[in-house]
Amino acid sequence: MDKNFQEESTQIIKFEPPLYKQRYQFVKDLVEKYKPKKVADLGCADCSLLWMLKFCSCIEVLAGLDICANVMKEKMHTLSPLPVDYLQPSERSLTVTLHHGSVAHKDPCMLGFDLVTCIELIEHLEESELKKFPEVVFGFMAPSMVVISTPNSEFNPLLSKVMLYRHPDHKFEWSQAQFQSWALETARCYDYSVEFTGVGHPPTGMEKVGFCTQIGVFVRKYPQTGDSLQSEKPTEAVYKTVFKAVYPSLKDGKYLQNAVISEVIFTAQIIKHRLMLKREESGDDPERKSKFQPSMDCFPDYLGKLVVEKNMEPFVSGNEVYIPLATIFSFPKVNRLCGTFEKLCKLIAGKVTLSSDGSAVMLNIEHENEEN
Amino acid sequence: TTGLQVSSGLQDLSLRDRGGRRRDFHDLGVNTRQAMVHVQESKTGFSGRMIKLTTNHFRLTSRPQWALYQYHVGYSPEMEARRLRSALLFQHEETIGKTHAFDGSILFLPKKLENKVTELFSRTRNGEDVKITVTLTNELPPTSPTCLQFYNIIFRRLLKMLNLQQIGRNYYNPSDPVSIPNHRLMVWLGFTSSILQYEENIMLCADVSHKVLRGETVLDTMHSIHSQVGEERFRDTCAKELIGLIVLTKYNNRTYRIDDIDWDNNPKGTFRKSDGSEMSFVEYYKKQYNIEISDWMQPVLISQMKRRRGNIQGSVALIPELCSLTGLTDKMRNDFNMMKDLAIHTRLPPEQRQRELGRLLSYIQKDDNVQKELRNWGLSFDYKSVSFTGRVVQGEKIFQSGTMFDYNPQFADWTKETRGVPLIRAVPMDSWLLIYTRRNYDVANTLLQSLFKVTPSMGIRMNKPNMIEVDDRTETYLRVLQQRVTPDTNIVVCILSSSRKDKYDAIKKYLCTDCPIPSQCVLARTLSKPQTIMTVATKIALQMNCKMGGELWSVEIPLKQVMIVGIDCYHDTVSGKQSIAGFVASLNQPVTRWFSRCVVQSRGQELVDGIKACLQTALRNWSKWNKCLPSRIFVYRDGVGDGQLNTLVNYEVPQFLDCLKSIGTDYSPRLTVIVVKKRVGARFFAEIGGGLKNPPPGTVVDTVVTRPEWYDFFIVSQTVKNGCVAPTHYNVIYDTSQLKPDHVQRLTYKLCHMYYNWSGIIRVPAPCQYAHKLAFLVGQSIHREPNLMLSDRLYYL
Repeated sequence: MDKNFQEESTQIIKFEPPLYKQRYQFVKDLVEKYKPKKVADLGCADCSLLWMLKFCSCIEVLAGLDICANVMKEKMHTLSPLPVDYLQPSERSLTVTLHHGSVAHKDPCMLGFDLVTCIELIEHLEESELKKFPEVVFGFMAPSMVVISTPNSEFNPLLSKVMLYRHPDHKFEWSQAQFQSWALETARCYDYSVEFTGVGHPPTGMEKVGFCTQIGVFVRKYPQTGDSLQSEKPTEAVYKTVFKAVYPSLKDGKYLQNAVISEVIFTAQIIKHRLMLKREESGDDPERKSKFQPSMDCFPDYLGKLVVEKNMEPFVSGNEVYIPLATIFSFPKVNRLCGTFEKLCKLIAGKVTLSSDGSAVMLNIEHENEEN
Repeated sequence: TTGLQVSSGLQDLSLRDRGGRRRDFHDLGVNTRQAMVHVQESKTGFSGRMIKLTTNHFRLTSRPQWALYQYHVGYSPEMEARRLRSALLFQHEETIGKTHAFDGSILFLPKKLENKVTELFSRTRNGEDVKITVTLTNELPPTSPTCLQFYNIIFRRLLKMLNLQQIGRNYYNPSDPVSIPNHRLMVWLGFTSSILQYEENIMLCADVSHKVLRGETVLDTMHSIHSQVGEERFRDTCAKELIGLIVLTKYNNRTYRIDDIDWDNNPKGTFRKSDGSEMSFVEYYKKQYNIEISDWMQPVLISQMKRRRGNIQGSVALIPELCSLTGLTDKMRNDFNMMKDLAIHTRLPPEQRQRELGRLLSYIQKDDNVQKELRNWGLSFDYKSVSFTGRVVQGEKIFQSGTMFDYNPQFADWTKETRGVPLIRAVPMDSWLLIYTRRNYDVANTLLQSLFKVTPSMGIRMNKPNMIEVDDRTETYLRVLQQRVTPDTNIVVCILSSSRKDKYDAIKKYLCTDCPIPSQCVLARTLSKPQTIMTVATKIALQMNCKMGGELWSVEIPLKQVMIVGIDCYHDTVSGKQSIAGFVASLNQPVTRWFSRCVVQSRGQELVDGIKACLQTALRNWSKWNKCLPSRIFVYRDGVGDGQLNTLVNYEVPQFLDCLKSIGTDYSPRLTVIVVKKRVGARFFAEIGGGLKNPPPGTVVDTVVTRPEWYDFFIVSQTVKNGCVAPTHYNVIYDTSQLKPDHVQRLTYKLCHMYYNWSGIIRVPAPCQYAHKLAFLVGQSIHREPNLMLSDRLYYL
């Protein structure tokens, strides 16, 4: 018996995990494999596939299109950045946009995508729309890869209670031969290659029925030769944007600067704290001494280095502690954020109090004493 | 590691509160006023001068003959999944309309369907035919409790449409945060909102709220704790600092409370999924959210899920690396500098606060989608806040040893006026100890000299203390206490080098339980500044006098034979096991002496049983002091959470009555129970000279923004240096006093003058603040009931 389903005595086939999840997982696996940067989901409905895809770290642009604005709006807020995305902006940039419109119409906002998915979409199209669909998706959008899934009508007798179609809104359901001939013809016409697969395995012994959901993966044969093609495309926007979310990213200067300043001040304070403790160790608190026995240290390597390079050592002068920027730059988090020492200086200029020659962060001692 | 659930997915907007809880935060439907005949007609006072006030309430208006239609939606065959139920129902948008709110079984519509029962037919993706029966169950008038709940849901929907982020119960604007890099904090500006039926109108009460978020993960915090305290105290310190905190996760928009840390588990540990299969956390987060957990040795955080329905209790496991901290820890609250830096951003003065609020309303007013939603439901708001007249009652006269003082009403403080005046009752310090470390020898002497200077004018007779030098170890302090404290010792003064809690706790524990002697701990640092030493010494002298049973000042209390009770609770967030109720009752006519006890109660026990016992002993003590029983009892009950009013009315008050009955068949004093609430959304602003200012102390509000079903009022009693003053809400839930509302208000305000640790007016009646102090000390340091020998003194100040 196949692991993917359980056959009950009443001949009802139930897929585990449910078939829709298997379809989404299929797309996710594909994304993991080919790492597209720009992905569009046509017929995105309640945005659940988009929601899954927003966690894929290779994707920088995510777009959804649906003919029904209400169904998109219902869950679209799940695509908004989370509070934590603002607190810890990620390295990658991500923009999520939802458009209201039809796959039978061309809109320039759909250009330049690497992957376009049409999961259980085409069977909802009226004949006239289906006719225009290949030209819009393959001719106009012309992404590197297109994934199209649709029910396999040959499987229907195995499903319980399917009358004519699996869903009342379906305009048709194709057999394997019907789908494949349509797909091959489309691929030929627009210079794509196509491979067929699916999810939802048939029961043992009935393999010829095929997958419950049939899937065609289309790959553009030739890389797009850019400009000449682009110029023919209409520039008029026909879709209505219903949602747009720009995720905070370190690629955005504002967020990068905030992150660097925060990290620099925090690092400086850790160093100051340690310095002050060392100075205080002569106090008369025996418990205190034992308290700071070196144990697992957060930054042992970096502090070790300090002793070696004299000019990197923090020092106290009057009421101020000076922590050389070079020391702060040697901390991995700061280093990773800035890349170069010059960039560090540029980002914190005017935002962090520095010594007169600009080589060290200056902190007040007073602050520390009042802390306890 | 089975039985754990990993949090997953996103909760939809539903008619239920998030997490499936349907908690009545606003105590709707608790109607206490109807039982009190004497306030049926009017619950307003009359004394004082009038003052023009505005508030943060905005009227909600609906079109004439507006009603909300509530339907029950049934499915045949029965459909389990809520999502599916919604999808099937909304296939019929042409029938039910585009505007709706549906939680899976209850449907709200702004319009009435043609028939009382509507049958609809849908088909599932599996081709199953489903009959949906939509039955009208209720036609709700705008003021019905369900309707109010509904308005709140709709309003939150609007905030969501404005792209505000929900954190906990409120909504915040993430796009313009204030960052405070010194402390790795970020502050988001947001709004609290609630829509309720007030005296005459349904109103939105909106306030500016600030969410403090931290730019580090729980794992980061654990690392810095480790580097600060070392291996030995690492786990304990983590538990102390982290348990009770609220975290946000990297992958969903929910908040969790850290209830425990499972040190025996790690991300490689497995949990049982809802389908019964086992999966490790590492695998799960990779598969579900594409998140790679980098530290596989970190422990796992546990958050308890409290579900009302069926009392199912489960717990959620969280990975420290994926959790961000929100809010402030106690440690941070004690960090003066941090709080100062924060206050700049969070303490908005009245004008600015109203301006920020105005911004929210203009977003609402300008957003087309929001306006459309409101229009579809037939609702709208007044975008100008409500104005009305309040009263400022006259200031109280302060009496101290036959002298009478007026204080400047603007500052609500009489420190200057009463300086150098003898106290009502000064307790001599004939025999006392002064304990200090060698390093603090000079400081100890400075304190002593200063005390000798300030005590004579107060009337305190003071001998030289027993000066004892110790090394700075907890054991040494305790040994010295054991050896040197005698039954004649009046008080023990310890000068501490640092605010390390363990030492303080050990001293307090010993001197509050095993050896009941008043004690005073002073931080050496407080005494180190020459310019403030006299002020500090004065304050310490007064505080010590109260701890030994002294009395400082009084106000006129016109009622005779009255006992005033204050109750407050402390909930131990660290161990989560104990709750402590502080119970304080007046002992004498001028209410200058107090009887104090507390109830230490473990999880699952009812606090009220202990409170009943306290009331009994308090009455016994009162009769000892006054040779009779009180004829009037006022209970000021603080520490009542949102949504707990019902329990108080139906359970606690009857227990009080029961207790009084048990004293004697012929004993029936007049009882008044008043619920005190400091955390309220309402803010009042005085319109002075064309601008908005904080209302002066003594401002009483008992109209417009109070609730019709309650006998309630607000008093602004304290002043604040910066920011907006918060009024205190008083809800009289039981009253057989026959007193006029004006008198109850005045008595309450008088009691706000009687807190001896502050020579000024405070936010709550003094007994509540005393009860709070006591419960806090016991909860934080002592963990069991202090020795009853101390109960006639304010030893916990």
